[in-house]
Amino acid sequence: MTVTLTRAGAPAQITRVNDSATMVRVDGLTKRFPIRRGWMQTIRRPFAREHATALAGVTFTVERSEFFGLLGENGAGKTTLFKILASLIVPDAGTVTVNGLDVVKDSARVRGLLAPVIADERSLNWRLSARENLRLFAALHNLHGAAGEHRVNELMDITGIADTGTKMVGQFSSGMKQRLLIARALLSRPSVLLLDEPTRSLDPLGARRFREFLRDEIVARQRCTVLIATHRAEEALELCDRIAILDRGVVRAVGTPTELASRIVGERYYLWTLAPSHPALTCLAAQGTVTNLVIGERDEAGWTRVQLEIPGGPRTASDVIAALAAEQMPIASFERVRLPLAELIERIVANRSAVMADA
Amino acid sequence: MHKIFALVRASWLVGASYRMAIITSFGSLIVTVVPVFYIARALQPMMGKVVQGQGGDFFGFVLVGMIAFMFIGIAVGTLPGIISGSVSSGTLEAYLTTPSSLPTVLAGLMSYDFLWSFARAVVLVITGAILGAHIAWGKSLLAIGILALIVLSYLPFGILGASLMLWFRTTGPLPKAVIGLSGFLGGVYYPTHVIPSWLHSVSSAIPLTYGLRALRRVMLEGKPLSAVAPDLGILTLFIVGLCALSVLAFSRALHDAKRTGSLAQY
Repeated sequence: MTVTLTRAGAPAQITRVNDSATMVRVDGLTKRFPIRRGWMQTIRRPFAREHATALAGVTFTVERSEFFGLLGENGAGKTTLFKILASLIVPDAGTVTVNGLDVVKDSARVRGLLAPVIADERSLNWRLSARENLRLFAALHNLHGAAGEHRVNELMDITGIADTGTKMVGQFSSGMKQRLLIARALLSRPSVLLLDEPTRSLDPLGARRFREFLRDEIVARQRCTVLIATHRAEEALELCDRIAILDRGVVRAVGTPTELASRIVGERYYLWTLAPSHPALTCLAAQGTVTNLVIGERDEAGWTRVQLEIPGGPRTASDVIAALAAEQMPIASFERVRLPLAELIERIVANRSAVMADA
Repeated sequence: MHKIFALVRASWLVGASYRMAIITSFGSLIVTVVPVFYIARALQPMMGKVVQGQGGDFFGFVLVGMIAFMFIGIAVGTLPGIISGSVSSGTLEAYLTTPSSLPTVLAGLMSYDFLWSFARAVVLVITGAILGAHIAWGKSLLAIGILALIVLSYLPFGILGASLMLWFRTTGPLPKAVIGLSGFLGGVYYPTHVIPSWLHSVSSAIPLTYGLRALRRVMLEGKPLSAVAPDLGILTLFIVGLCALSVLAFSRALHDAKRTGSLAQY
């Protein structure tokens, strides 16, 4: 698998996969929206049109049964991308296919394959019970009679809302409403599920339970391909097989969290030593073999934790340990730590900005 | 039909959850029709001759006008209301992500309002009959057919309003203008021939003028289809022309909404 940074507007280099294994293919997707202008601007230049770019040449693929994350800040273009996938917005350029079907030309068939979980609770009918909400959408998905009723019962059991009885949805907690939204999306047994910030209105415990539900039920048992848009790094880290980092409408990088960390910004280690300013360590830092040295506080026994990053993967880390040991630097512990994804994204975006500034 | 039935059922369940609203909906009919009865009775000596060609009974004349007017209000106002409400709540997006077509969804969402209005109209007619209005019960089916044509002739204004709602998030003055003009110049409370002659041309451009005249002749005088065929012919021309225009406008508005991503913006 290859991970690369890309120039603005250019597609990220992605893993070549067998076409039959590809469920979603996004190729050169571009979307601009008109900018609403003020009264004065409209009077001065009535025919001028200004646009904001929401997506610029977005390219990636998602394999069958893969849990794929779209990570980015607010306004990065995640929701626009999802709406195009759900055929709710028409793209300006580029193509999107779901199981080989074009989302613009074959929108009706795509809607049978793909289900967006609209995270807005207001899209539920609050004056109806969960069962009645599901019955309505079962009918809209052509599930009638006993088949529809069976599917509704099945999903209410799966999502844990079977005991809500005749209680109106308006009286549900946010977590219960999210479960109902998921159940609604699963009615048609979709091959692809789109989740747009599904835990944004949940408390930390509710969010954790919801993630467990997604991982264990939706992916492991239902075998759905899932695309999740989120700005919560821990969510993407916990759930996703691969992640695309979206920044101002451009895919900056695609890969597994580990790959993104190791190949783009290196890996972070903690080193416990009695001599944090040892010449061997200083020399390696000067050579650039280790970077971002941060010397922490000393404990009562005199040991200091030094945080460092070693680009080049575990083999380089092994060489660093050998070099430090050869120079008789007193080391009690050398441990590899996972770089927080939020920090990773920040660096990828910053790195990209620097590249653009240089250009 | 399954989908439309499911949407009507859901709307009914929602409506039924507002119990007081159901009671007041029917209660208000009684409160309205009784004063109308007494006022019409008081005006009968003066208005009897004026409404001679349309039943001759002024109470019956106004009663039929009220029923048709109630339906055109629904035809013009319901669809923009549904679009506005469902765009704001996000339910339109949710419906559009199903394999159901938009016309099916909108038909289902509107049907409840029409069925509810039909139930209210039945209550109005029965109350009117109890109070003494002469109703040609044998022509009920034909009357329902004419009422359906009146609704169809006003539905395009609702579709145009929905298009404006998609484009500009407001219908502007369209629904009020259509309903107001139809109320004043379409012969709801008085026959169109009593209005000033310079307004006749405006009146003749209003579908309700023809639909209501035909409906009264059938409902109150028991006239056969052949007697009202010319009026129904003109009504049909309105339907064809306005439907083509409104469907074109709505298709364009929906395409623009999908292009600008405004289906869920409020």
